[in-house]
Amino acid sequence: MAEDNLCIALNQVGKSVDTPDGKLDILKNISLDVKYQEAVVIKGASGSGKTTLLGLMAGLDQASSGDVFLFGENLTRKSEEQRSSIRAGRVGFVFQSFHLVQGANAMQNVMLPLELAGKAGAQQLAMESLQQVGLAHKTGTLVEHLSGGEQQRVAIARAFAVKPQVLFADEPTGNLDAVTGRQIADLMFHLRDQSGTTLVLVTHENELLERGDRQILIESGKLLTSQA
Amino acid sequence: MKVGRATIHSYWLMFIATVITVSIVTSSQLITDRIGLLLDRQASELLAADMVIISSREFDADYRQQALQHGLQVSNSVSLRSAIFIGDDPQLVELKAVDDAYPLRGRLERTREVTGGRSATTEIPARGEVWVDTKLAQLVGSALTLGEAKFDTSWLLTFEPDRGGAIFNLAPRVLMNLEDLSRTGLVVPGSRVRYRMMFAGEQGDINRFKIWLTINLKAGEEIQDLENARPEMRQALESTRKFFALAIVLTLVIAMAAIAITARYTANREAPKVAMLRAFGISQQSLFRYYLRQLGSLWIVATVSGIALGWFTQFPLQWALDGWFGKTLPQVHSLKPYFSAGLVGLLALAGFSLPYLANATATPPMQVLRTAVNRRSWMRGLLITGSAIVAVFVVLVLLMQSSLLAVATLALVLACAFILPLILGWMVKLLLFSTQRRFWLRQYLLSRLQAASRGAIYVMSGFSLVLISILLIAVVKDELLGSWQEQLPENIPNYFLINIRSDDIEAVGAYMQQHRIEASTPYALARARLKQINSIDASAIDFVHPRAEHMIKHTFNITHARELPDQNEIIAGEWLDPDNPRPQLSVEQGMADKLGLEVGDELTLTVGSMTLRAPVTSIRSVVWENFKPNFYLIANPELLADLPQTGLLSAFIEEQNKADLKHLLQRFPSITLLDITELMARVRGIVDKASVALQFFFLFALASALIVLLAAIQTGRHEREIESSLLRALSAHTNQLYRVHILEFTLMGALIGFFSACFATVAGWAISVYFFNIEFHFSVAVWAYSLLSSCLVLTIAGTLVSRRVYNVSPMKILRS
Ligand SMILES: Nc1ncnc2c1ncn2[C@@H]1O[C@H](COP(=O)(O)OP(=O)(O)O)[C@@H](O)[C@H]1O
Ligand SMILES: [Mg+2]
Repeated sequence: MAEDNLCIALNQVGKSVDTPDGKLDILKNISLDVKYQEAVVIKGASGSGKTTLLGLMAGLDQASSGDVFLFGENLTRKSEEQRSSIRAGRVGFVFQSFHLVQGANAMQNVMLPLELAGKAGAQQLAMESLQQVGLAHKTGTLVEHLSGGEQQRVAIARAFAVKPQVLFADEPTGNLDAVTGRQIADLMFHLRDQSGTTLVLVTHENELLERGDRQILIESGKLLTSQA
Repeated sequence: MKVGRATIHSYWLMFIATVITVSIVTSSQLITDRIGLLLDRQASELLAADMVIISSREFDADYRQQALQHGLQVSNSVSLRSAIFIGDDPQLVELKAVDDAYPLRGRLERTREVTGGRSATTEIPARGEVWVDTKLAQLVGSALTLGEAKFDTSWLLTFEPDRGGAIFNLAPRVLMNLEDLSRTGLVVPGSRVRYRMMFAGEQGDINRFKIWLTINLKAGEEIQDLENARPEMRQALESTRKFFALAIVLTLVIAMAAIAITARYTANREAPKVAMLRAFGISQQSLFRYYLRQLGSLWIVATVSGIALGWFTQFPLQWALDGWFGKTLPQVHSLKPYFSAGLVGLLALAGFSLPYLANATATPPMQVLRTAVNRRSWMRGLLITGSAIVAVFVVLVLLMQSSLLAVATLALVLACAFILPLILGWMVKLLLFSTQRRFWLRQYLLSRLQAASRGAIYVMSGFSLVLISILLIAVVKDELLGSWQEQLPENIPNYFLINIRSDDIEAVGAYMQQHRIEASTPYALARARLKQINSIDASAIDFVHPRAEHMIKHTFNITHARELPDQNEIIAGEWLDPDNPRPQLSVEQGMADKLGLEVGDELTLTVGSMTLRAPVTSIRSVVWENFKPNFYLIANPELLADLPQTGLLSAFIEEQNKADLKHLLQRFPSITLLDITELMARVRGIVDKASVALQFFFLFALASALIVLLAAIQTGRHEREIESSLLRALSAHTNQLYRVHILEFTLMGALIGFFSACFATVAGWAISVYFFNIEFHFSVAVWAYSLLSSCLVLTIAGTLVSRRVYNVSPMKILRS
């Protein structure tokens, strides 16, 4: 199958939800391929369906129609646990609102997924990763005492520490000021270039769009352009 | 795991709740065992033993042999009246000869001189010595002739457990060694001697021996134990014990409610973390194991801390109680309290927190991208409530002997878990709709309501359960104390005259009237045993009531009367027709309930060696605590005419009548006088002492309540922050918002106060009537207290919440 050589493949994917006002089609008829080591940036206005699309690609959510392939596996009829096991150790996430564990320090935040995934040398891996994001001196600080930019660095360190094949980022600079946002974007693309990780990033900012290998525009749940 | 240690601070409320639960169990087990032991002892000390047989003849040697084989301690005493001479004046004394083992329960107290310090002793008079009443103080140090023997008077006897305190106008006591008795030559055929054989030991051994004894008892021998010798005392002890059990269980329920609420709160806080980890591909199973480890370490640390805390509380408790008991609580050496504490902690965590955390591990990973992901599952709800019910039930069964109490408590918990959230949610809706007219406020409050249905309602229900439990403890305690006071009118009888010879009964009654001593009618008393009900052997009947068997094995008082005794009420059938010679019986309500008797049933009784058959013609309620002669069975005079009986009456004897009483006792020397005042003081003392111990458990209850409150304040704080920032953006005045917040909490407080008072009243009524067999009185104070405290506490909580919300910078809120 062609999907075997692709990191992610979407085939005629649709997503609809039931709302009090009736059925709502969020995504319509989306077909999209992401090759390994590619950096894809998806841009769209707020409410256009970016987050929904990202959730489907990562297997966090289930499509209403069509097929989603991740690492060559069809996610369509898989349970949440099966999809989770496909992601295990192979994907990383960076979120708009960081999603760090409050009350734990930077080091522990990076270590937590490693330990739970049963990776050997979790501490070593976490330390290296924190060094890469330039936070080696703040490993023991509680995350709530870090600045927004630093918190996102911890999240990036956490994502790269598992050495993922693909990194999903949902508006990673959305909560940051322009200067910090640019620094975070620099860091993320730098690490990606170093590690060759596949990157899927969604944003509503033009600035990030330019940095990808490929740009995709989304509007009202439909893909507009897909340029190689 | 390092992460586990670092995140434990999000568990700290749950941790403290668990520590409290464990220490409640530890300290209650340490203390109740000891208080139970002490209460038993205290009661037994009235008999100087756990059980006594009394006779006017010497006992079979077989009795002692059998008692020893049953693992009991045995002691013998012989008492008789004799005359001594002080100078040339004859003086009647109560001579009592005891053996080395005496007293089996309680201590003798003695002194060298009347004004000197008294000291408790385990000794008895040495051979050749006697100890005498303080009234004979002038004899100390001199020789005393008793019958044909001479004795040294070495000590003044100041206290003797089975004498019922200082009975002032009986002949003064002379205590001697049993081995000296034969030397006096006072025991000769025809002399009025009372033999007592006393037994003490483990309750089980006593019970077994009692069965043997009952079968082998000879005519003229009578068994006395707490059950039949002092029914008022037994009631007080039983009630105290039950009350103690109830209060501890309620305290425990509060602590477990705190665990449940804090666990729910913790689980909610863990949800985002779970979603993040699941997005990273961590399986639900590993997450479950992760939480299992977290709970495991929490359990271990909490158990160790809880046991330590519980262990330490016994010292202040002991110190407080010693002041009341005036003696050291008996030590209990057993690991059981610690084991049960650890087990209850484990059960509570497994039952209340594990389901919540297991539920949290199912948080959909999509939640990392979008906060509101709908997820409602009946199965999960069922799992949570199911395991909570099992946990509560196992804990209750583990810690309580009374199944009635276990079921009642379970019902209370279930009602709070299911009904309260419903009622509260519904009432809040109703109240807010009717009080809030202004549009935006109404909108706002409605949005708050939704938040409430998400969690606050459950926290509020938990808070309500806490309040109900605290109220219940207070209500039942008041009812119990009140039930003692109310039945004690101004001139209650302060003396019982027992052992009146049947020939003397009428003369004693006449004497009382003649000297204007307020006394009950004298009752003739026989001890009957129930053999058959409707011609079926009682021992062959399967009774439903657990106490029924006990009634069959024991003898109980039967009397005859023409008129219904004071404070008795006919509740079924008709009072005896004294002029009708056909056999008639009136049965006490409790006895009828236990044995399932109804009017028309025919009873076969044995009294001594005689057999009676009579139908039940009425069922009667009796106020057992009124310190008047009370009877299980009353027959018409005809029925008991030929039976061996002794007389009994109660009297209120004032200071000016004491000379008359003395005269009476001289005229009828067989009469034994029981001082009720002393008895009453002891009964009151026991309830008081139990209350002191309970104050400590109240502290635990308050600590748990505080935890619940903290959880309540924390729950939904984030939502509140966002909501208030939104409302501020919509340019609502901060002051208005502040007031709305507080109003919301105050309303909640009023609602909770109202429902808690309702629940506490209904449960208090049920417990009083069915569990303690006392009357219940509606208490306005409970309602006032409940409403006030609930409003106050929640208003304070509301203020705290609001302060926090408004101290948060809007920027921070908008960013998160
Ligand atoms: N579970 C849902 N229920 C109802 N509407 C939803 C749900 N999920 C998403 N939507 C709607 O779908 C649209 C796209 O949402 P989203 O993917 O979050 O957009 P974006 O991330 O581009 O801002 C929005 O209009 C949103 O309101
Ligand atoms: Mg989005």
